[in-house]
Amino acid sequence: MVGSIVTVAQLMDEIERDIPFFDQSRGGVTFTGGEPMFQREFLLESLLACKEQGIHTIVDTSGYTSWDGFEQIHSYVDIFLYDLKLMDESRHKQYTSVSNHMILDNLKKLSSAKASIIVRIPLIPGVNDDYENIHQSASFLADLPHLDGVELIPYHEIGLAKYQALGMNNKLKEIKPVSRQHIEEVEQILYKYHLPLYKDSIGRIL
Amino acid sequence: MIITERIEKLRQQSLEAEETLSSERAELLTKFYKQEVELVSPPVRRALAFKYLLEHKKISIQDAELIVGEKGPSLKNAPTFPELCCHSLDDLDVLNQREKTSFKVDSKTRNNYEKIIIPFWKGKSMRDLIFKEMTEEWKAAYQAGIFTEFMEQRAPGHTVLDDKIYRKGMLDFQTEIDQQLSRLDYFTDPQAYDKQEELRAMHIAAGAIIHFAHRYAERALEMSANEKDDIRINELRKIAEVCNHVPAYAPRNFWEALQYYWFVHLGVTIELNTWDAFSPGRLDQHLLPFYRQGINKGELTHQIAEELLQCFWIKFNNQPAPPKVGVTAEESGTYTDFAQINLGGVRPDGTDGVNEVTYLLLDVIEKMRLLQPSTSIQVSKKNPDRFVKRATKIIKTGFGQPSVFNADLIGQELIRMGKSIVDARCGGSSGCVEVGAFGKENYNLTGYFNMPKVFEITLHDGVDPRTGKKLGLATGNPAEFKSMEEVLEAFEKQVNYFVDIKVRGNNVIERLYAKYLPCPFLSLLIDDCISKGMDYHNGGARYNTTYIQGVGLGTMADALSSIKYHVFENATFSMGGFIDILDTNFVGQDQLRQQLLNRTPKYGNDDDFADEVMTRVFEIYYNSIDGRPNTKGGEYHINLLPTTVHVYFGSVTGATPDGRIAWTPLSEGVSPVQGADHKGPTAVLRSVAKMDHARTGGTLLNQKFTPQVLESDEGLDKLVQLIRTYFRLDGHHIQFNVVDAITLRLAQQHPEQYRSLIVRVAGYSDYFCDLSKTLQDEIIARTEHEGY
Repeated sequence: MVGSIVTVAQLMDEIERDIPFFDQSRGGVTFTGGEPMFQREFLLESLLACKEQGIHTIVDTSGYTSWDGFEQIHSYVDIFLYDLKLMDESRHKQYTSVSNHMILDNLKKLSSAKASIIVRIPLIPGVNDDYENIHQSASFLADLPHLDGVELIPYHEIGLAKYQALGMNNKLKEIKPVSRQHIEEVEQILYKYHLPLYKDSIGRIL
Repeated sequence: MIITERIEKLRQQSLEAEETLSSERAELLTKFYKQEVELVSPPVRRALAFKYLLEHKKISIQDAELIVGEKGPSLKNAPTFPELCCHSLDDLDVLNQREKTSFKVDSKTRNNYEKIIIPFWKGKSMRDLIFKEMTEEWKAAYQAGIFTEFMEQRAPGHTVLDDKIYRKGMLDFQTEIDQQLSRLDYFTDPQAYDKQEELRAMHIAAGAIIHFAHRYAERALEMSANEKDDIRINELRKIAEVCNHVPAYAPRNFWEALQYYWFVHLGVTIELNTWDAFSPGRLDQHLLPFYRQGINKGELTHQIAEELLQCFWIKFNNQPAPPKVGVTAEESGTYTDFAQINLGGVRPDGTDGVNEVTYLLLDVIEKMRLLQPSTSIQVSKKNPDRFVKRATKIIKTGFGQPSVFNADLIGQELIRMGKSIVDARCGGSSGCVEVGAFGKENYNLTGYFNMPKVFEITLHDGVDPRTGKKLGLATGNPAEFKSMEEVLEAFEKQVNYFVDIKVRGNNVIERLYAKYLPCPFLSLLIDDCISKGMDYHNGGARYNTTYIQGVGLGTMADALSSIKYHVFENATFSMGGFIDILDTNFVGQDQLRQQLLNRTPKYGNDDDFADEVMTRVFEIYYNSIDGRPNTKGGEYHINLLPTTVHVYFGSVTGATPDGRIAWTPLSEGVSPVQGADHKGPTAVLRSVAKMDHARTGGTLLNQKFTPQVLESDEGLDKLVQLIRTYFRLDGHHIQFNVVDAITLRLAQQHPEQYRSLIVRVAGYSDYFCDLSKTLQDEIIARTEHEGY
C-alpha cells in the first residue's frame, strides 16, 4: 500500500478483510502519517466508513491543523495519539519551523470535548528533554480537563540506516539515545503531576 | 533449566544411541510360524504369535530408568514385521548405507535375513498378497505417482487411546471378554463362532501383556539383588512392584498410570507396525486424578511427577519408526512415528480441559526438546489465553512443537462424521493433523492423492506425459476447451476416475487385513470390539473411517487461477499454446514464467479470484470421496496433509500453469504455494479459511516466523490472537517454524554444527540435517514472515 493512491472504497476493502482479527484482538485502524489531518476529507470519510463497520479508530496527529478539522472528526475517533514536542514557542519554531500555539489550543479544546487522548512526548536529548520543558509540559497536561494517558517516546537510532539508504542527510545524527536513568527521572516528574503515564504501550518502540 | 542427573543421562543416551534394525522379532515370528502345527483360527493364531513374541523377546532395564520396556531388544533397535512386508537384502543395504535416517544392519542380522527370514516369508507377506490383488489400473496409477498406499507396508491401526486403561486392568478386560463369550448365541447368530475365536484371541493377548510386565518385574528384582546402590535398589524394587500391578490391575498412582500406558504402547506396536501414531491422546486429563490424589496424599510431588513424565518422554524417543521397504525405504526420511500427545481442549462434559497437569506437561515438552513424542495443544474458545501463551513460549524456541489445533472445530468435524457429542469431545488430533474419536475409532489414512498429477493428465486427455502411457479417461482435447467450466468438468471426471481406482484397492486391502492379519491386542483396547466380538480390522470399532489425503491444493489453486486469468479472461495465450509451453518446461520462456509467477492471482493473498478456484478444487476432491462406504460399516472422508510426500509427488509431476518447474515440490497441506503469499499471515489465514474445514478430517497449515517476531511478550500475545482468529474462522490446525533462513542455510552447509536443529516439516518436526537436500531447500523457501 505504500505510496499508492486509493479511494475510500478501496481502502475499506483492505481494512474490512481484517475485521475478524480486529474483533479477536480488540484491534483496529490507526491513521498516521505524515499528518492525516492534512487529508481531512479523506480522513473523515474513512473514519465514517470504519464506524459504520464498528471498527476501532486511532488518529495519530501532530495537532498542527485548524480546529474545525478536529471538530469534524473527533466523534468518530476512539483515541487520539497527540504529539507534544516543546512548550516554549520560540524553541518550537526553531525545531519545527511553526508556532505551537494552535497545537496547544487544539489539545485543550479536544480535551474539553471529552475526546480520548493519549499525549505522546518524543524525548530528544538536547532538544526537549530539559527539566524546564518537562515541567512546563507536565503542568500544562495536568491542567487539562480530561486526559487518558501520557507516553514518553525516547529518541532511538533505528532510523539512521534508512536515512543512509535513502541518501538523506539526518540532522539528528549527532544525538545519542536517551539514557534509561534520564527516562526514569522524567517519568518521576510526570508522576508528581499525577499524570496517567503509559509504559510499554502503544507506539513505544524501545 | 534444571534437569536431574538421571534425566540428563537417559536423554543423552537416547539422543546418542544409533538406530539399528533388529531381526529379533522377525526371527521369533518365523520360528513361531514354523513350529506351529495345530490348526487354529487366524485371530487365535495371531494372539499366540503375540504371546510368543512377548514371552521370548529380550528385555532390558537401562541404568537409572524408572519407566521400563523397549519395543526392540534395546533402545533404538527397531523390530521388523516380515508377515506384513519382508525386507529384501537390497532394502537392508539401502537402510544401512543411506546418508540420512539410516538403520545399521549388522552382518548377523543380514545373514539371518538371508538364511532364515527371507526364505520363509518370500511371497507370503501381506505386501505380496496386496500387490497380487491389485488391478492393472491400480498398479499403473500407483507407479505413476497418482496415489500412494500406506497399507502395503504398515498395518491399519491409526488410532489413539482413551481413558479406559486408567480405570481397568487387563484382568478386567478378560472378565468382560468372558462375559461376552458366555453370551454368544450359537443358535441364531451365524457369526457366533467367529466372535468366539476373536474373543478368545483377545483373552490370550491380554494375558500375554500381563506376563510380559511380570518378566520386567522379575528382571528388576534380579537386578536389585546385584545392585550396590541403596537408592537404586529401592527404585528397582518399586519398578518390580509397579510391573507386578499394571497392566494386570487398574493403576493406583501416577507412576503406575504411565507404566501401564507404556506396556500398552509396546503391545500395540509389537503386535503389528500399526500406521501410525498410537498415543495416549489426552494425557493431561488422563493423569489428572492420579496427580491430584498423589499430591493430596503426600505421595507425589511436582518434581517427582515431572521426572516420571520425562522418563516417559524418553521412552517414546527410544523408538524409531519401523524401517520401510522398497521405494518407501529410499524416500521416507524420518525416524518419527507421529505419536501425538494432546493437551487442553475440553472435558467430556464440554467444560475447559486445561488443568495443572497441562502446564506440567508443557514444562516437560520444553525441557525435553525431543523429536518424539510429538505434542499438540487443542485450543478451545473455553481455554484461557494463559494456556495458549504458555505454549507459544515453547513454539518460539523453534523446535516446531507443540502444534496448534482448533478443539471446537475438531468437535464439529467428528460430530459431522457421525460421532456422539461426548465421543467427539474425548477425541482429538493424531499423527499429523487427522482427527478421531479416541479409544473408539478405527480411522485409517490410506494414502496420498496427487491432485496436480491428475490435472496434468487432464491437460493431456488422459495421458501421462512423463511416460506417454494412457492412465486416465479421454476427457477431450484440452486445446478445445472453451471455458473454465469445461476445464473443471474434465478435471472432476479424472479425479473421480482415479479415486474409484484407489477406493476399490482400499476396499480389497481392508478385507485382506480383516481376514489374514487380525490384531486381537489392539482390538481389546478399542470400543466396541469386545462387545461386538469383532476385530479392529473387521469393523469392531464403534466408528470406522477411511481417509484419503489430498496433496497439492495450493498448486492446483494457482494452476487453475493462472488458466482462468491468462486463457479465459485476458487471452494472454490459447489453451493449446499454454499446454505446449508447459510441455517444454518453460525452456527459453523465463519472462513468461515470471509473468505467471508474479502477475497472476495467487492463493494465499485473500484474493477471491484465486481463492474461489481453490474452493472449487476442494469441493471436487471432497465430492469424489466423502461419504462413500468402506468395508467396515464406516465411510470415506478427506484430509489435506502431505507429510513429506509433496516432494515425491512433485518429482513425478511436470511443469504446472502456475509457473512451477517440472519435478519440483508441490505445495504442502493447505498452505499456499511456497513464496506465492506476499500479503502477510492475516491474508494467508483468510484465504485458507475460505475452504470448509469442518467437512474434512484434518488440514495442515504451515507458517514460518523468524525468532525476532516472537521475541517480545507483545509478539507472543499477537501470536495468541492470530491463532484465536484463525480458529474463529474455523481453521483446523496451524503450526509454526520459528527459525530464520540464514540459520537454515548455515545448517545446510555445516550440518555437523546443527545436528540438534529441529524444524517443523509437515505435521511433525524433524532434525533439519536428516532431511533431504530438496526438502531442506523447500523449507528454506517457505515464505518467511518478517512481521505482522
